[in-house]
Amino acid sequence: MTRIAEIPAYFDDKSFDQFAASFGTWPPDARVLFDARGAQWASPYGLIGLLTAGQALLEAHAERPLFTVPASEDVRRYWARTGFFRHAVDLFEIHGRVPKTPPDEASDVLLGVTPVRASEDVHQVVGKIQEGASRILHGELGLEAKATMGFAMALSEACQNIVEHAGTAGWVAVHAYNWRKRLGRRVVVIAVSDAGLGFRRSLEATQARRFGDRWGDAAALEAALIQGVSRFRDPGRGQGLAGIKRYLSRWDGKISIRSGTARLSIVPRWDDDLPLAEHLAFFPGSQLQVVIPAQEPSTR
Amino acid sequence: MIQTIQLGRVLRETVMTPYTDLVTRPTGAAIRGRIQDAMLQSAAATTLLDFTGIGLLDFSCADEVVAKLLLDADPGTDRYVMLGGAREDHVEAIDHVLNHHALAVAALSAPGEPPRLLGRVTPELRAVFLCVFRLGPGDALRVAEVLDWTLERAADALQTLALLRLLRAEGGTYRPLPT
Repeated sequence: MTRIAEIPAYFDDKSFDQFAASFGTWPPDARVLFDARGAQWASPYGLIGLLTAGQALLEAHAERPLFTVPASEDVRRYWARTGFFRHAVDLFEIHGRVPKTPPDEASDVLLGVTPVRASEDVHQVVGKIQEGASRILHGELGLEAKATMGFAMALSEACQNIVEHAGTAGWVAVHAYNWRKRLGRRVVVIAVSDAGLGFRRSLEATQARRFGDRWGDAAALEAALIQGVSRFRDPGRGQGLAGIKRYLSRWDGKISIRSGTARLSIVPRWDDDLPLAEHLAFFPGSQLQVVIPAQEPSTR
Repeated sequence: MIQTIQLGRVLRETVMTPYTDLVTRPTGAAIRGRIQDAMLQSAAATTLLDFTGIGLLDFSCADEVVAKLLLDADPGTDRYVMLGGAREDHVEAIDHVLNHHALAVAALSAPGEPPRLLGRVTPELRAVFLCVFRLGPGDALRVAEVLDWTLERAADALQTLALLRLLRAEGGTYRPLPT
C-alpha cells in the first residue's frame, strides 16, 4: 500500500500544513509517494520541508519514500539550481528525469539547500552567505549596509538551533524573490528545518511543570520564542532567538516557527498571518522561517 | 602592562578553517579556553582582546568569548579585560550579551578618546568612568568635587566600577585601565 503526499502547486509556509496533513498519522502507515508532478513553485521553506520529511521517514525506519519530479521542466530546473535534487537522491527513490543543472548560488538562490550537522557547517554557511547577502539586502532591498551583518548573525543563530537542540541533522536555504501576492515587494527568506526532537520535547524536562495543563507544542514555542527560555541551565542561553527578534524588529521582518502541531509567529503589520496556530497536522522536528522585506520606498 | 590577544589568529589556530567569523558556541568556548590559558601564562594585569580582522560575531560566540570570560574571572585576582578593534556590529552583539548578564567591559576608541563602555552601565557610572579617565588616578573626594556629588555617591559609583573591573582600585585610589 502507498500513501500519496501531494506537493502543493505553490509550496510555501502557507500550504505546508496541507502537505503535513497528507501523511495521516506519523509515522505514516504505508510507504509514502511524494507527488510533485503538479508543483509550480516552491519556497526554500517548502523545499527543505520536503527533505525533512524524507529524512524523518528514513530515521523512523520507514520504507524509502518514492518521489515523482515536477512535470514542468522550468520547475525541475529551478529545483535543481537550488541544490534540492543533490540531497533528495539520498532520501527518496526518485522517478522522473532530474536535470543536470548545477546548483547556482550567484543569483536569487543566496544559499542553496545545505545540510547542517555540526557547528563547522554553520561556519561554512555564514562564510558563504555574506557577499550575496550584501548584494541583495543592500543593493536590491534597500536595507542599510549594516543590515548584512545582522542578517548573517540571524542565519547563524537559526542554524545553531539545529546543532544544539534537534538531536539530528537539518537543512537551511536562503532565497530572494518577489512576494507579489502577499506583500507586493521583494523579500529574502531564510528557511531552517530539522526532523529532530521539536521544541516540546526539547524543553519538556525544564518547562512542562511551569506550564501545567497548558503544556504542549504551542506553550513550548511560546517559552522559547517569547520568553527566551532554553533547555540548558546556562544563563547565557536563549539569546539566539532574542537576537533574531531584535534584528527583525529593526528591519520589519517576520519570524515563524512550526514545531509538532503548532506554529508561532511574530507578525509585522504588512502580514495577516495568525500569531499562533494550534492543532495543526503533526510534522516532525522544527521549521523556522525568517522573512526580510524590501524597505518601502518612503523609508529608503 | 597590557597583553594583546589577536582573536583572528586565535580563531585560525582553533577552528582550522579559512573563515574569519566568530560564530557558534563551541567555537567561542574553544577561543575562550585559549584566552584563559594565555592570561594564566602572562604577568600582565590587563588583557586586550583585539577584534581586528574578525568578520561576523554572533550572539552565541560573543556570549562564550566575552561574557563568560568576565563571568569566569577569579574575583581574587587583579586581572582586567578590555576590547580593541571592535566594529559597530561587534559592539552591538557584545553589548547585548553583557546586558543579559549585567556585566560590562571597556572597548578602546580612537587614540586619546575615552574607552566606550559596553554592557549594563548606568549614566551615573559612565560619568564617573569618564571623570577618572580624564583626570587620572584619584579618590572619591576628587570625583565628588568635580561632579558636584556627595562623597558617598561618588564612592559608591567608584566601588561599582571597580567591582565591574572597569577601574583599578588601590586602597582609596581609583585608576583608569591602561590604554
